[in-house]
Amino acid sequence: MTLGAWQSLFADWRSFAVGLEHTLVAAALALLFATILGVFFGLLGVAPVPAARTINRIYVEAIRNTPLLLQAFFFYYGLPRVHIVLPVLAVGVVSLSIYTGAFVAEVVRGGIQSVARGQLEAAYSQGFSFVQAMRYVVLPQALRVIIPPYTNQCVNLVKNTQILSLIAGADLVYQADTWSSENLLYGVAYMTVAVLYLAITLPLAAISRWLERRIGGPIEAGADA
Amino acid sequence: MKQRIHAFLFAALAVVALTGALARPASADALSDIKARGVLNVGVKADVLAFGFLNPKTNQYEGYEIDIAHELAKRLLGDPNKIKFTTVTAKTRSGLLDSGEIDMVIATFTITEQRKLVLDFSPPYFTDGIALLVQKNSGIKGLADLNNKTIGVAKGADTATRLTNKAAELGNVLLNFSAFETYGEIAAALQAGRVQAFSTDGSILKYYEQQDPSTVILPDRYSNEDYGVATKKGNDSLRDWVTAQINQLRSSETLKRWQQRWAIFNENQFK
Repeated sequence: MTLGAWQSLFADWRSFAVGLEHTLVAAALALLFATILGVFFGLLGVAPVPAARTINRIYVEAIRNTPLLLQAFFFYYGLPRVHIVLPVLAVGVVSLSIYTGAFVAEVVRGGIQSVARGQLEAAYSQGFSFVQAMRYVVLPQALRVIIPPYTNQCVNLVKNTQILSLIAGADLVYQADTWSSENLLYGVAYMTVAVLYLAITLPLAAISRWLERRIGGPIEAGADA
Repeated sequence: MKQRIHAFLFAALAVVALTGALARPASADALSDIKARGVLNVGVKADVLAFGFLNPKTNQYEGYEIDIAHELAKRLLGDPNKIKFTTVTAKTRSGLLDSGEIDMVIATFTITEQRKLVLDFSPPYFTDGIALLVQKNSGIKGLADLNNKTIGVAKGADTATRLTNKAAELGNVLLNFSAFETYGEIAAALQAGRVQAFSTDGSILKYYEQQDPSTVILPDRYSNEDYGVATKKGNDSLRDWVTAQINQLRSSETLKRWQQRWAIFNENQFK
């Protein structure tokens, strides 16, 4: 790990900038869609309709129990066989959204179920519908429980964007790989990539802690008994 | 608190001491290290037919490069089977060499000026050329037909650089590259239409052409790839010994005989 190695790396900083851009775009879009999927399927998991809960179980168990890489390979290698050729970045966003969405759905379901059942019943007794009771009574309280594990999923998602490197998606890891394949300077390349990942994930964690403080601490025991 | 800091410092020191002990520095005499160990650790390919191929039926490595490895073990340790093979890919081979996991790489490793800066190479034991594997019905006849198309290559290989240089000579040919971890994935990408050509050395492509009858290797070769036995920089005694063996095998026409046995002989490498 010589000075020369770092110099060659800085001379080619554009390769890494391209990788950072693709990683950021994939992570941001997948984060958005994974959250939407997660909230939707999480709500299905606590819905009063049994069929909705079944759909939640099928989605969550099928997706979280199979490897992300295989799901990405399905979209990348499999779908073209039926003439659906998604661009590689889209393959990344779709597979990451669906995969992380399953974990977020469990986080949301768990958060909602942590709110005492009496809250929902009280809301019903006041004439609230299921959706209204969720929106105004249960979800605001569930949010405190949801945020820490949700942040975990966000950070995992950012790191999981590296599956793009296995389908030639020009993300950070892929760019580092291809750059170092020419000069064999893997050490400096991977160290740089690690620092860039930290630069994305540490702010995410900071935002999460700030949100936690804003919303308030854990639910006080017995407060809603 | 103070105790905890001490415990932490002690743990950190222990880790440093351990890694120091484990990360053996490049020995002054790698050759006698191997003799003392009694086994030669060689990195080879497992998926290149007739060069380094792990035969799924016998679970044995076989091919031209495997023959060379066994010969080196025989000459160094007196027994061709005092050898431990490790499967490498274009991406993993230099890392494994650096870490000391393997003593040498005999794995379709092309000698390039840039690689010579970080690794040592023996003289070439084989010369191959980069070729293109395409779908038969694609109408692609050569590099010029791949303008604005995507070519699948292996990570850690020098294929993209060589093809780009060749395309520059043709002028107005813009190539895109997608790099994959394994040759199998490139073959799958070609089938899926993700790439329009699969490019690496012709000898490697042969296997994938056999596997998928709808594909064909185009006749053109776009570079001369000299394969050398790679060793870690600093292991001079090992490098010099390997160089002497390869030179001897070459001048005695043993290499030529083995190439003919594996049906990979081509005349122009001995001109």
